[in-house]
Amino acid sequence: MDGKVVVITSGKGGVGKTTVTASLGAALALQGKRVAVVDMDIGLRNLDVVMGLENRIIFNVVDVVQGKCKLKQALIKDRRINNLYLIPASQSDEKNVIQPENMKWLCKRLKKEFDFTLLDCPAGIEQGFKNSIEAADDAIVVCMPEISSVRDADRVIGLLYSRSIEPKLVVNRIVPKMVERGDMLSHQDVVDVLSIDLIGLVESDESVVVSTNTGLPIVMQKESKAGRAFNQIAMRMNGHPDLPVEDPMAPKSFWKKLGGRIGRKNRMQS
Amino acid sequence: MPENGRLPVRLKGVGDSLWVTIDPAVSAEELKTALKNPFEKLKKLAVNARVVIDPQNGGGRESEPLIEELGSYLKETFDVGEVRAATEKADPPEASAPQEIPADPLSDLRGDARIIAGRVRSGQKIHAENHLVILGDVNPGAEVIAGGDIIILGGLRGTAVAGQPDNEEAVIIALDFRPTQIQIGGLAAASDPNDAGRGKFPEFAKIDGTRIVILDYTKDNPFRRLAPPEKR
Repeated sequence: MDGKVVVITSGKGGVGKTTVTASLGAALALQGKRVAVVDMDIGLRNLDVVMGLENRIIFNVVDVVQGKCKLKQALIKDRRINNLYLIPASQSDEKNVIQPENMKWLCKRLKKEFDFTLLDCPAGIEQGFKNSIEAADDAIVVCMPEISSVRDADRVIGLLYSRSIEPKLVVNRIVPKMVERGDMLSHQDVVDVLSIDLIGLVESDESVVVSTNTGLPIVMQKESKAGRAFNQIAMRMNGHPDLPVEDPMAPKSFWKKLGGRIGRKNRMQS
Repeated sequence: MPENGRLPVRLKGVGDSLWVTIDPAVSAEELKTALKNPFEKLKKLAVNARVVIDPQNGGGRESEPLIEELGSYLKETFDVGEVRAATEKADPPEASAPQEIPADPLSDLRGDARIIAGRVRSGQKIHAENHLVILGDVNPGAEVIAGGDIIILGGLRGTAVAGQPDNEEAVIIALDFRPTQIQIGGLAAASDPNDAGRGKFPEFAKIDGTRIVILDYTKDNPFRRLAPPEKR
């Protein structure tokens, strides 16, 4: 059976699309799926750095669609995680060297090989966005609890709906302390406006910055709250859609506190 | 039995009844079989329906027993309501006069509104020549524009522009009134960013003198005192 093509998009830049793509790719691969992640941000490639694979790039997605290399040659295998592959973006071209027809062709081929193809969509709603959603079966909209991010996400959701794609929502970089103080929108406010299915809530986590710089996937760091959230999102995508979404605002239960005391912090991971 | 290429039974809906044209030359048994198929297709529609049987010969006496027999057959098998013969000179179904609608004293009070269902998202713009009704929310960044009133059965958080270009009587009503900006006629009003506690109850905006005011719809319903009903 053919796999799924999932586009990860947000409208606004800097909300964590690339981190979400890299993390979900790693998490799905760790759960035993065959995963390809494609960097669609032609001209401003990042995904390779976040995944720690930049020094192994020979061919990129533009070379593939222009027929300069075979698909297999452009797929960079992650050495730490089995079944995880990256197709990097080109750093020297412009977005319009790829057309929507090219993406249809590419995704059709990737679907045959991989269970999940994750497309890291560039910011904006221009050519790069249009290319990315052309062949997508599903979409994940990443949104920060911030008014400008919500508005851009809303626009993108409208555009996705007009192409009959029903997106799922990830609220990224929640700072529970700020929400408690009333200085940040709560995820309920975000869901209220966007009114699409929530697939995950990710707390703001310093270890994400560390992981981005070192290229070590956040989902492999057992201590990280964000890593755990990404693992759970991957599970929801991967046949467990009803797994409850953990609310970072919920008061910690007695048992979790106790578990923390006696050193069983990561029971959820095992 | 097709005779001259015509079916022995033809069915038509006329007014509030079913008009069945039969061929009197065909035997009653054959007519029954021919009736069975179309009536079965009607299923529940046939229950309690009024049926007029037209034997096509001017309603002569000789076809009465046939009609009676078919009538009782239809009543038993398909539960139809009333069966009668076509009277007079078999006025053809095509010529049947359109039913007269009883005069409604308010029927000329008809307004004109565009009704949209669903959420209006950021970047989307909805125009209406006259009134606009939105069955859903208007998100921040969305715009709804109307020549007359804007009625939102949901939350208003985007921009609403009513009474374009110069209708100062227009109102904007929303069940959860938290707009970014509103305009009525030539006036505009922006939301107060410090006034975050509003909303969650129905409010409306209208022009009062030279400014836009926002009032609680349940307390100051502007239409409550209109009697008799007026056209909007």
